[in-house]
Amino acid sequence: MSLFDTFTVRVPRPRAVKRRLGGWFGRQMARVNWLWPAGLLLPAAMALVLAGIAHIVSILAMPALAENNAFARLSEIVGSNDMKLLPDPTPNDAVLPMQDPAFISAVCLYDLNDKPLKVRVPATANYTSVSFYTDEGLAFYALSDQAAGKVIELDLMNADQKAALPEDEEITAADRLVIESPSEEGIVLVRAHVPDRGMREVVRRQLEAATCTSAN
Amino acid sequence: MRLLPLALTLLVAIVLGLGTTLFMVTHSRGLDVVEAGPWRGWPRSGTVKADPYARAAVARSGELPLELADGLLFLAATDDTGQPIDGRCETRIIGVLPQARLWTLTVMDEDGRFIPNDAERYGLTSAEALYKADGKLDVRLAPRARPGNWLPTGARGRLKVALRLYDAPFSFASGAGDAATVLPHIVQEACP
Repeated sequence: MSLFDTFTVRVPRPRAVKRRLGGWFGRQMARVNWLWPAGLLLPAAMALVLAGIAHIVSILAMPALAENNAFARLSEIVGSNDMKLLPDPTPNDAVLPMQDPAFISAVCLYDLNDKPLKVRVPATANYTSVSFYTDEGLAFYALSDQAAGKVIELDLMNADQKAALPEDEEITAADRLVIESPSEEGIVLVRAHVPDRGMREVVRRQLEAATCTSAN
Repeated sequence: MRLLPLALTLLVAIVLGLGTTLFMVTHSRGLDVVEAGPWRGWPRSGTVKADPYARAAVARSGELPLELADGLLFLAATDDTGQPIDGRCETRIIGVLPQARLWTLTVMDEDGRFIPNDAERYGLTSAEALYKADGKLDVRLAPRARPGNWLPTGARGRLKVALRLYDAPFSFASGAGDAATVLPHIVQEACP
Protein backbone atom coordinates (compact mmCIF):
# COMPACT_ATOMS: atom_id res chain seq x y z
CA MET A 1 0.00 0.00 0.00
CA SER A 2 1.56 3.19 -1.09
CA LEU A 3 1.27 6.60 0.54
CA PHE A 4 -0.91 7.72 -2.36
CA ASP A 5 -3.49 5.05 -1.62
CA THR A 6 -3.99 6.20 1.95
CA PHE A 7 -5.16 9.60 0.67
CA THR A 8 -7.46 8.21 -1.97
CA VAL A 9 -10.97 7.50 -0.90
CA ARG A 10 -12.36 4.59 -2.84
CA VAL A 11 -16.06 4.91 -3.25
CA PRO A 12 -17.83 1.84 -4.57
CA ARG A 13 -19.88 2.43 -7.69
CA PRO A 14 -23.54 2.65 -6.75
CA ARG A 15 -24.67 -0.60 -8.32
CA ALA A 16 -27.87 -0.36 -6.32
CA VAL A 17 -28.91 2.51 -8.61
CA LYS A 18 -28.27 0.36 -11.64
CA ARG A 19 -30.33 -2.47 -10.26
CA ARG A 20 -33.24 -0.24 -9.29
CA LEU A 21 -33.48 1.73 -12.51
CA GLY A 22 -32.46 -1.02 -14.88
CA GLY A 23 -32.11 -0.69 -18.64
CA TRP A 24 -30.15 1.95 -20.53
CA PHE A 25 -30.87 4.82 -18.11
CA GLY A 26 -29.72 2.81 -15.12
CA ARG A 27 -26.54 1.75 -16.87
CA GLN A 28 -25.78 5.34 -17.81
CA MET A 29 -26.39 6.61 -14.30
CA ALA A 30 -24.31 3.85 -12.77
CA ARG A 31 -21.32 4.85 -14.89
CA VAL A 32 -21.15 8.20 -13.12
CA ASN A 33 -19.40 8.16 -9.82
CA TRP A 34 -21.85 10.45 -8.05
CA LEU A 35 -20.19 10.41 -4.63
CA TRP A 36 -16.73 11.24 -5.90
CA PRO A 37 -16.53 15.07 -6.10
CA ALA A 38 -13.71 15.08 -8.64
CA GLY A 39 -16.01 13.31 -11.04
CA LEU A 40 -18.54 16.11 -10.75
CA LEU A 41 -16.00 18.89 -10.99
CA LEU A 42 -15.67 18.77 -14.76
CA PRO A 43 -19.44 18.65 -15.50
CA ALA A 44 -20.05 21.43 -12.94
CA ALA A 45 -17.37 23.65 -14.47
CA MET A 46 -18.73 22.96 -17.95
CA ALA A 47 -22.27 23.75 -16.81
CA LEU A 48 -21.13 27.06 -15.32
CA VAL A 49 -19.25 28.12 -18.45
CA LEU A 50 -22.15 27.14 -20.72
CA ALA A 51 -24.62 28.87 -18.37
CA GLY A 52 -22.54 32.03 -18.62
CA ILE A 53 -22.56 31.82 -22.41
CA ALA A 54 -26.34 31.19 -22.51
CA HIS A 55 -26.86 34.16 -20.16
CA ILE A 56 -24.74 36.59 -22.18
CA VAL A 57 -26.18 35.50 -25.53
CA SER A 58 -29.79 35.76 -24.28
CA ILE A 59 -29.22 39.20 -22.72
CA LEU A 60 -27.62 40.52 -25.93
CA ALA A 61 -30.34 38.96 -28.11
CA MET A 62 -33.22 40.24 -25.98
CA PRO A 63 -33.63 43.68 -27.68
CA ALA A 64 -33.84 42.04 -31.12
CA LEU A 65 -36.09 39.18 -30.04
CA ALA A 66 -38.48 40.88 -27.58
CA GLU A 67 -41.93 40.75 -29.17
CA ASN A 68 -43.75 43.07 -26.80
CA ASN A 69 -41.39 46.04 -26.85
CA ALA A 70 -42.51 49.65 -27.14
CA PHE A 71 -42.37 49.66 -30.96
CA ALA A 72 -44.60 46.57 -31.20
CA ARG A 73 -47.07 47.95 -28.63
CA LEU A 74 -47.31 51.29 -30.43
CA SER A 75 -47.60 49.67 -33.88
CA GLU A 76 -51.03 48.46 -32.83
CA ILE A 77 -52.39 51.99 -32.51
CA VAL A 78 -50.24 54.18 -34.77
CA GLY A 79 -49.39 53.87 -38.45
CA SER A 80 -46.00 54.59 -40.00
CA ASN A 81 -44.84 58.24 -40.23
CA ASP A 82 -47.95 59.52 -38.49
CA MET A 83 -48.25 61.38 -35.17
CA LYS A 84 -50.93 60.26 -32.75
CA LEU A 85 -51.86 61.21 -29.18
CA LEU A 86 -51.65 58.38 -26.68
CA PRO A 87 -54.61 57.74 -24.38
CA ASP A 88 -53.98 58.83 -20.79
CA PRO A 89 -52.58 55.94 -18.71
CA THR A 90 -55.01 54.60 -16.11
CA PRO A 91 -54.53 51.94 -13.38
CA ASN A 92 -56.00 49.23 -15.64
CA ASP A 93 -54.84 50.32 -19.03
CA ALA A 94 -51.59 51.80 -20.29
CA VAL A 95 -50.12 51.50 -23.78
CA LEU A 96 -46.59 51.67 -22.36
CA PRO A 97 -45.45 50.87 -18.83
CA MET A 98 -43.98 53.54 -16.53
CA GLN A 99 -45.60 56.56 -18.15
CA ASP A 100 -45.68 59.79 -16.16
CA PRO A 101 -49.35 60.63 -15.45
CA ALA A 102 -48.50 64.35 -15.35
CA PHE A 103 -47.79 64.39 -19.09
CA ILE A 104 -49.74 64.15 -22.33
CA SER A 105 -47.83 62.03 -24.87
CA ALA A 106 -47.94 61.72 -28.62
CA VAL A 107 -45.95 59.23 -30.67
CA CYS A 108 -44.81 58.88 -34.25
CA LEU A 109 -43.36 55.62 -35.58
CA TYR A 110 -40.93 56.51 -38.32
CA ASP A 111 -39.52 54.63 -41.25
CA LEU A 112 -36.60 56.33 -43.00
CA ASN A 113 -36.22 53.79 -45.82
CA ASP A 114 -37.85 56.06 -48.41
CA LYS A 115 -37.43 59.59 -47.20
CA PRO A 116 -36.23 61.58 -44.15
CA LEU A 117 -38.75 62.58 -41.50
CA LYS A 118 -39.80 66.11 -40.65
CA VAL A 119 -40.97 66.62 -37.06
CA ARG A 120 -42.80 69.78 -36.09
CA VAL A 121 -43.98 70.31 -32.52
CA PRO A 122 -45.42 73.61 -31.33
CA ALA A 123 -44.35 74.06 -27.70
CA THR A 124 -47.21 74.23 -25.21
CA ALA A 125 -47.24 76.81 -22.41
CA ASN A 126 -45.53 74.20 -20.22
CA TYR A 127 -42.55 71.87 -20.46
CA THR A 128 -42.59 70.16 -23.85
CA SER A 129 -39.99 67.68 -25.06
CA VAL A 130 -39.28 65.50 -28.07
CA SER A 131 -37.32 62.25 -27.56
CA PHE A 132 -36.10 59.80 -30.17
CA TYR A 133 -35.79 56.02 -29.75
CA THR A 134 -34.68 53.22 -32.04
CA ASP A 135 -37.15 50.40 -32.75
CA GLU A 136 -35.41 48.47 -29.94
CA GLY A 137 -36.25 51.22 -27.44
CA LEU A 138 -32.79 52.77 -27.19
CA ALA A 139 -32.96 56.52 -26.51
CA PHE A 140 -30.61 58.44 -28.81
CA TYR A 141 -31.68 62.08 -28.73
CA ALA A 142 -33.95 64.46 -26.85
CA LEU A 143 -34.72 68.13 -27.02
CA SER A 144 -36.93 70.33 -24.84
CA ASP A 145 -38.73 73.55 -25.67
CA GLN A 146 -36.19 75.51 -23.64
CA ALA A 147 -33.45 74.48 -26.05
CA ALA A 148 -35.54 74.85 -29.19
CA GLY A 149 -37.91 77.78 -28.76
CA LYS A 150 -41.58 78.17 -29.64
CA VAL A 151 -41.72 75.57 -32.35
CA ILE A 152 -39.51 72.48 -32.24
CA GLU A 153 -38.58 71.62 -35.84
CA LEU A 154 -36.29 68.73 -36.63
CA ASP A 155 -35.19 66.67 -39.62
CA LEU A 156 -34.53 63.04 -38.85
CA MET A 157 -32.33 61.14 -41.32
CA ASN A 158 -30.36 57.97 -41.65
CA ALA A 159 -26.63 58.14 -42.26
CA ASP A 160 -26.92 58.05 -46.09
CA GLN A 161 -29.55 60.78 -46.25
CA LYS A 162 -27.49 63.00 -43.98
CA ALA A 163 -24.36 62.44 -46.05
CA ALA A 164 -26.32 63.36 -49.20
CA LEU A 165 -27.30 66.78 -47.82
CA PRO A 166 -25.94 69.56 -50.06
CA GLU A 167 -23.16 71.42 -48.35
CA ASP A 168 -24.73 74.70 -49.30
CA GLU A 169 -24.19 77.46 -46.80
CA GLU A 170 -27.62 78.95 -47.36
CA ILE A 171 -29.34 75.71 -46.49
CA THR A 172 -27.25 75.03 -43.42
CA ALA A 173 -27.85 78.59 -42.30
CA ALA A 174 -31.61 78.09 -42.57
CA ASP A 175 -31.76 76.83 -39.02
CA ARG A 176 -32.35 73.21 -39.90
CA LEU A 177 -31.72 70.93 -37.01
CA VAL A 178 -30.68 67.59 -38.51
CA ILE A 179 -30.56 64.48 -36.37
CA GLU A 180 -29.08 61.21 -37.50
CA SER A 181 -30.98 58.06 -36.55
CA PRO A 182 -28.90 54.94 -35.86
CA SER A 183 -31.79 52.75 -37.08
CA GLU A 184 -34.10 52.89 -40.11
CA GLU A 185 -37.19 52.56 -37.92
CA GLY A 186 -37.91 54.05 -34.54
CA ILE A 187 -40.13 56.11 -32.29
CA VAL A 188 -40.53 59.85 -31.79
CA LEU A 189 -42.09 60.56 -28.40
CA VAL A 190 -43.54 64.03 -27.80
CA ARG A 191 -44.48 64.88 -24.23
CA ALA A 192 -46.13 67.96 -22.75
CA HIS A 193 -46.42 68.58 -19.04
CA VAL A 194 -49.84 69.16 -17.46
CA PRO A 195 -49.28 71.12 -14.24
CA ASP A 196 -52.76 70.44 -12.90
CA ARG A 197 -55.57 68.13 -13.88
CA GLY A 198 -57.86 70.93 -15.10
CA MET A 199 -55.40 71.71 -17.92
CA ARG A 200 -55.45 68.26 -19.54
CA GLU A 201 -57.88 69.11 -22.33
CA VAL A 202 -56.11 72.37 -23.18
CA VAL A 203 -52.69 70.72 -23.42
CA ARG A 204 -54.17 67.80 -25.37
CA ARG A 205 -55.57 70.18 -28.01
CA GLN A 206 -52.25 72.03 -28.25
CA LEU A 207 -50.36 68.79 -28.77
CA GLU A 208 -52.74 67.73 -31.54
CA ALA A 209 -50.93 70.25 -33.74
CA ALA A 210 -47.70 68.20 -33.56
CA THR A 211 -46.89 66.48 -36.86
CA CYS A 212 -44.37 64.13 -38.38
CA THR A 213 -44.23 63.72 -42.14
CA SER A 214 -42.10 61.78 -44.54
CA ALA A 215 -40.59 64.39 -46.91
CA ASN A 216 -37.33 65.66 -48.34
CA MET B 1 -18.13 12.30 -21.92
CA ARG B 2 -21.04 9.93 -21.83
CA LEU B 3 -24.37 10.90 -23.29
CA LEU B 4 -26.61 11.23 -20.26
CA PRO B 5 -24.23 13.24 -18.05
CA LEU B 6 -23.61 15.47 -21.04
CA ALA B 7 -27.34 16.04 -21.53
CA LEU B 8 -27.75 16.75 -17.82
CA THR B 9 -24.87 19.21 -17.90
CA LEU B 10 -26.40 21.01 -20.88
CA LEU B 11 -29.81 21.12 -19.20
CA VAL B 12 -28.36 22.57 -16.00
CA ALA B 13 -26.40 25.14 -18.03
CA ILE B 14 -29.45 26.28 -20.02
CA VAL B 15 -31.73 26.49 -16.98
CA LEU B 16 -29.08 28.38 -15.03
CA GLY B 17 -28.19 30.75 -17.89
CA LEU B 18 -31.74 31.60 -18.96
CA GLY B 19 -32.90 31.71 -15.33
CA THR B 20 -30.36 34.40 -14.46
CA THR B 21 -31.36 36.27 -17.64
CA LEU B 22 -35.03 36.22 -16.62
CA PHE B 23 -34.10 37.33 -13.11
CA MET B 24 -31.96 40.20 -14.38
CA VAL B 25 -34.50 41.58 -16.87
CA THR B 26 -37.31 41.47 -14.30
CA HIS B 27 -35.37 42.69 -11.26
CA SER B 28 -32.75 45.01 -12.72
CA ARG B 29 -32.99 48.11 -14.86
CA GLY B 30 -29.32 48.10 -15.78
CA LEU B 31 -25.95 47.86 -14.10
CA ASP B 32 -25.31 51.57 -14.00
CA VAL B 33 -27.20 52.27 -10.74
CA VAL B 34 -26.98 55.50 -8.80
CA GLU B 35 -28.11 55.03 -5.21
CA ALA B 36 -29.29 57.78 -2.89
CA GLY B 37 -30.79 56.47 0.33
CA PRO B 38 -33.79 54.37 -0.76
CA TRP B 39 -33.78 55.89 -4.27
CA ARG B 40 -32.28 54.20 -7.32
CA GLY B 41 -31.54 55.95 -10.61
CA TRP B 42 -30.21 54.66 -13.94
CA PRO B 43 -28.89 57.75 -15.73
CA ARG B 44 -27.19 55.93 -18.63
CA SER B 45 -30.22 53.76 -19.49
CA GLY B 46 -31.69 56.84 -21.19
CA THR B 47 -28.69 57.29 -23.49
CA VAL B 48 -26.96 55.41 -26.30
CA LYS B 49 -24.46 54.30 -23.65
CA ALA B 50 -27.11 52.07 -22.02
CA ASP B 51 -25.57 48.75 -20.93
CA PRO B 52 -26.85 45.40 -22.30
CA TYR B 53 -28.89 44.72 -19.15
CA ALA B 54 -30.66 48.08 -19.41
CA ARG B 55 -31.38 47.46 -23.12
CA ALA B 56 -32.71 43.96 -22.40
CA ALA B 57 -34.91 45.15 -19.52
CA VAL B 58 -36.38 47.96 -21.64
CA ALA B 59 -37.05 45.65 -24.58
CA ARG B 60 -38.82 43.13 -22.36
CA SER B 61 -40.96 45.61 -20.40
CA GLY B 62 -41.88 47.75 -23.42
CA GLU B 63 -40.98 50.91 -21.57
CA LEU B 64 -39.54 53.98 -23.27
CA PRO B 65 -36.95 55.15 -20.72
CA LEU B 66 -36.61 58.86 -20.03
CA GLU B 67 -33.89 60.27 -22.27
CA LEU B 68 -31.26 61.78 -19.96
CA ALA B 69 -31.41 65.17 -21.71
CA ASP B 70 -35.15 65.17 -20.96
CA GLY B 71 -35.21 64.00 -17.37
CA LEU B 72 -34.08 61.46 -14.83
CA LEU B 73 -36.11 58.80 -13.05
CA PHE B 74 -35.53 57.64 -9.48
CA LEU B 75 -37.44 54.69 -8.04
CA ALA B 76 -37.91 53.75 -4.39
CA ALA B 77 -39.53 50.58 -3.10
CA THR B 78 -38.32 50.86 0.50
CA ASP B 79 -38.10 53.51 3.20
CA ASP B 80 -34.83 54.88 4.64
CA THR B 81 -34.44 51.84 6.91
CA GLY B 82 -34.88 49.35 4.05
CA GLN B 83 -38.43 48.28 4.96
CA PRO B 84 -40.72 47.85 1.93
CA ILE B 85 -43.14 50.77 1.52
CA ASP B 86 -46.47 49.56 2.90
CA GLY B 87 -49.60 51.29 1.62
CA ARG B 88 -51.44 50.59 4.88
CA CYS B 89 -48.96 52.81 6.76
CA GLU B 90 -48.58 56.54 6.56
CA THR B 91 -45.44 57.10 4.53
CA ARG B 92 -43.84 60.53 4.49
CA ILE B 93 -41.46 61.78 1.85
CA ILE B 94 -39.63 64.67 3.44
CA GLY B 95 -36.78 66.84 2.33
CA VAL B 96 -35.35 69.03 -0.37
CA LEU B 97 -35.36 68.14 -4.05
CA PRO B 98 -32.49 68.79 -6.46
CA GLN B 99 -32.65 71.73 -8.83
CA ALA B 100 -34.90 70.92 -11.77
CA ARG B 101 -37.29 72.78 -14.04
CA LEU B 102 -40.07 70.57 -12.75
CA TRP B 103 -40.50 67.30 -10.90
CA THR B 104 -43.26 64.72 -10.56
CA LEU B 105 -43.85 62.10 -7.89
CA THR B 106 -45.94 59.03 -8.81
CA VAL B 107 -47.22 56.21 -6.59
CA MET B 108 -47.51 52.74 -8.14
CA ASP B 109 -48.16 49.21 -6.98
CA GLU B 110 -45.48 46.50 -7.16
CA ASP B 111 -46.14 45.89 -10.87
CA GLY B 112 -45.88 49.57 -11.77
CA ARG B 113 -49.63 50.25 -12.13
CA PHE B 114 -51.20 53.37 -10.68
CA ILE B 115 -53.33 53.07 -7.53
CA PRO B 116 -57.00 53.41 -8.54
CA ASN B 117 -58.87 56.21 -6.75
CA ASP B 118 -61.94 58.32 -7.43
CA ALA B 119 -60.02 61.57 -7.81
CA GLU B 120 -57.67 59.96 -10.41
CA ARG B 121 -54.85 61.25 -8.27
CA TYR B 122 -51.83 59.15 -9.20
CA GLY B 123 -49.10 61.59 -8.37
CA LEU B 124 -47.98 65.06 -7.45
CA THR B 125 -46.16 67.65 -9.54
CA SER B 126 -43.92 70.55 -8.55
CA ALA B 127 -46.68 72.93 -9.67
CA GLU B 128 -49.24 71.45 -7.28
CA ALA B 129 -47.02 70.76 -4.25
CA LEU B 130 -47.22 72.79 -1.06
CA TYR B 131 -43.90 73.58 0.58
CA LYS B 132 -43.21 74.16 4.26
CA ALA B 133 -41.92 77.49 5.55
CA ASP B 134 -38.32 76.24 5.42
CA GLY B 135 -38.74 75.29 1.77
CA LYS B 136 -38.89 71.56 2.44
CA LEU B 137 -41.33 69.20 0.88
CA ASP B 138 -43.54 66.92 3.01
CA VAL B 139 -45.63 64.43 1.03
CA ARG B 140 -47.84 61.90 2.79
CA LEU B 141 -48.79 58.59 1.22
CA ALA B 142 -51.73 57.20 3.18
CA PRO B 143 -54.85 55.09 2.58
CA ARG B 144 -57.10 57.94 3.77
CA ALA B 145 -57.07 61.65 2.92
CA ARG B 146 -54.57 63.84 4.78
CA PRO B 147 -54.19 67.61 4.81
CA GLY B 148 -51.38 69.01 2.64
CA ASN B 149 -49.61 66.93 -0.02
CA TRP B 150 -51.55 63.67 0.14
CA LEU B 151 -51.32 60.74 -2.27
CA PRO B 152 -53.71 57.78 -1.93
CA THR B 153 -52.19 54.31 -1.47
CA GLY B 154 -55.36 52.22 -1.72
CA ALA B 155 -54.03 50.32 1.34
CA ARG B 156 -51.86 48.17 -0.98
CA GLY B 157 -49.30 45.99 0.74
CA ARG B 158 -46.32 47.06 -1.32
CA LEU B 159 -45.77 50.30 -3.17
CA LYS B 160 -43.20 51.84 -5.49
CA VAL B 161 -42.59 55.56 -5.75
CA ALA B 162 -41.21 57.22 -8.88
CA LEU B 163 -39.54 60.61 -8.71
CA ARG B 164 -38.86 62.23 -12.08
CA LEU B 165 -36.70 65.33 -12.38
CA TYR B 166 -37.06 67.14 -15.69
CA ASP B 167 -34.47 69.40 -17.25
CA ALA B 168 -32.25 68.91 -14.24
CA PRO B 169 -28.75 70.36 -14.54
CA PHE B 170 -26.86 67.27 -13.35
CA SER B 171 -23.66 66.05 -14.75
CA PHE B 172 -23.25 62.30 -14.57
CA ALA B 173 -19.86 62.30 -16.16
CA SER B 174 -18.26 62.10 -12.72
CA GLY B 175 -20.93 60.04 -10.99
CA ALA B 176 -24.09 61.34 -9.38
CA GLY B 177 -22.70 61.94 -5.92
CA ASP B 178 -23.90 65.54 -5.76
CA ALA B 179 -27.39 64.85 -6.98
CA ALA B 180 -27.64 61.84 -4.73
CA THR B 181 -27.18 63.66 -1.48
CA VAL B 182 -30.23 65.87 -1.88
CA LEU B 183 -33.01 63.36 -2.55
CA PRO B 184 -35.75 63.36 0.12
CA HIS B 185 -36.06 60.87 2.98
CA ILE B 186 -38.80 58.23 3.11
CA VAL B 187 -40.14 57.51 6.60
CA GLN B 188 -42.99 55.19 7.52
CA GLU B 189 -45.26 55.99 10.46
CA ALA B 190 -48.44 54.67 12.01
CA CYS B 191 -48.36 51.18 10.56
CA PRO B 192 -51.39 49.12 11.55
